[in-house]
Amino acid sequence: MIFLEWLNGEIVAIILFFIGVYGLISRRNIVKTVISIWIMEVAVILFFMTIHYQKTSVPPIGEAIKGTMADPLPQALMVTAIVIGVSVTAVSLTMFITLYHKYGSTNWEKVMKKRMD
Amino acid sequence: MINLYFLIIMPILIAVILYLSTNKWVKLFSIILQVFMVAAAIINFIFVKINGEVIEYIGGWEHYAGIALRGDLFACVMVMLTTILFLGMLIFTYTTRYINKLFLLLFVILQSLIIGIFLSNDLFNIYVLIEVGTIIVSILIMFKKDSQAIYDGMVYLLVNIVAMIMFLFGIGFIYKIFGVLDMYRIQELMHLVESPRSLILPYALLITPVALKGALMPLFSWLPKAHGTPSAPSIVSAILSGLYVKGGIYLFIRIQQMFSGVIDTSQYFLILGFLTGTVGLFLALCQTDIKLILAYSTISQIGLIMIGINFNDPNAYWGGIYHIVNHAFFKSTLFLTAGLIIDTYHTRNIGEIRGVFRKMPVVSTISILAILGVTGAPLFNGSISKYLIQSGMQGTFYDYALIFINLGTVVYFMKYITIFFGKDENHEGVVDKYSRSVIVVLGLACFVGGLYGQWFIKLLFNQAVDIDVILYMKKSIVYFLTLVIGVIVYRRVVAHSKLLHRVREIELSFNNICFTIMIFFSVTTVYLMIIY
Repeated sequence: MIFLEWLNGEIVAIILFFIGVYGLISRRNIVKTVISIWIMEVAVILFFMTIHYQKTSVPPIGEAIKGTMADPLPQALMVTAIVIGVSVTAVSLTMFITLYHKYGSTNWEKVMKKRMD
Repeated sequence: MINLYFLIIMPILIAVILYLSTNKWVKLFSIILQVFMVAAAIINFIFVKINGEVIEYIGGWEHYAGIALRGDLFACVMVMLTTILFLGMLIFTYTTRYINKLFLLLFVILQSLIIGIFLSNDLFNIYVLIEVGTIIVSILIMFKKDSQAIYDGMVYLLVNIVAMIMFLFGIGFIYKIFGVLDMYRIQELMHLVESPRSLILPYALLITPVALKGALMPLFSWLPKAHGTPSAPSIVSAILSGLYVKGGIYLFIRIQQMFSGVIDTSQYFLILGFLTGTVGLFLALCQTDIKLILAYSTISQIGLIMIGINFNDPNAYWGGIYHIVNHAFFKSTLFLTAGLIIDTYHTRNIGEIRGVFRKMPVVSTISILAILGVTGAPLFNGSISKYLIQSGMQGTFYDYALIFINLGTVVYFMKYITIFFGKDENHEGVVDKYSRSVIVVLGLACFVGGLYGQWFIKLLFNQAVDIDVILYMKKSIVYFLTLVIGVIVYRRVVAHSKLLHRVREIELSFNNICFTIMIFFSVTTVYLMIIY
């Protein structure tokens, strides 16, 4: 699989990020908006995971470590980011349910028109 | 010196006490604790003023490894401002009925988050604080569960989250290049970067969300929704407009400092500041909702601040910084008084409110003081900061641009003050003594901040600025001319215009707001590619 050598985590992350952006700009469904946001979040998490990746590095666990250690900071940061992402998704879906009860639509444009009246 | 983390933890403790306790004196107790917060912020400010910057490493890690809190003079002033405003807001709502325990819990936690944003020196920490702040603010916006407010809260939440994911992506790039998240360390390592081109993407990813938080030109469409939403309590509007937006400006200054020497975009943001100021005042002219006029006025004033801090001149820079503080005072006063007026009249339509001055003389007087501050009347605080911003740019295009923006400000406030005249018999104006005392203090602060402006800048920022009396007199004459022209323009043009009505109905949908974010991001990237 030599021709896929360029396809590392960072490239995939950037592609995924812009797929999420495309979803945000082109989809009018509110649930799809929330999904797009989560895709962007996943892209960023993947990016952090792969930035300092080396094939030979070992996990920084234990006392006698041979070779270079993997950088533990991105993992620690991403645990926080995942927690925040989950709670943000939960809050937005909860808000969406209330919004749906008030307006009876999942479409941004329709909801906006009803808000103007 | 009081430990910096104490200032961040203390509000959370106050919030939890307020939420859990059933004692009827708990509100009074929380206000006393807030007074201690103000005292602590002032003690820290004095300490920093005498001894210089303080950096605190949480968790006892060595330099740059752990999360750092940084207390320099600017941060300490902003923290002081935050504590004073929150104390005011809590006193203001001392007897209000809609303020229940959940509301207070969220509101006081917001205080700790804002202080955290001002003090933190770690990029990821800032991301976390802003993200939590976004959730809390959106819940506060839709607190009354009005159907309009739910839409506004939802748009606010999702737009800001999209922006913050971009911020996180930018942090990823920064970490890849520098290997640290501490802003000072990144600044130190900046000169090692070989070509500025490698920093274009991280810079654009970081500055776009910050510009959105600070409500710059194409990215402000969330702001009137959040600040002017009909049902949001007035203290929330006051804090958001007076303080929370300044978090964006503050981060903008920090990030520009971080990239200083490698990436310089002050010309770009100078133009954007001018556009923001102009578009903001034009939209403010179009509104008939008193809260929305104030919200768009915030956008216009932010344009002014951006012009000040991006113009390459120390006087203009300190004028911009001082305008941040001034704006916090007069805009929160205006939002609080507008809230009281709305509570009395049960409407926000500017055409239906008449005769406020006879009914609520104190509220009206304070509003007029604040309006004099915003428009930069001589002796008021706005005049000092606007004078300083202008004095740095004598004879350039921006000198006239500022006069133009000020003219616009006068015109839309002409529209605003029509509510004070006339007669009204139907409504009963009652303002309790707590609310009244808070607005009186805030309103007087607008006046004192102008009278002793020079002295305040020396006190707050250790910065001596000279105010030339003759030039100041000239500016005062220009102000009175602006006032006359403003009245004429309002009477002749604005009051009869039909175009303004049409502009009011333009509203961006969520997809379009996301599109503007991406446009801003792409334009910034292309601009940087061209100049580097």
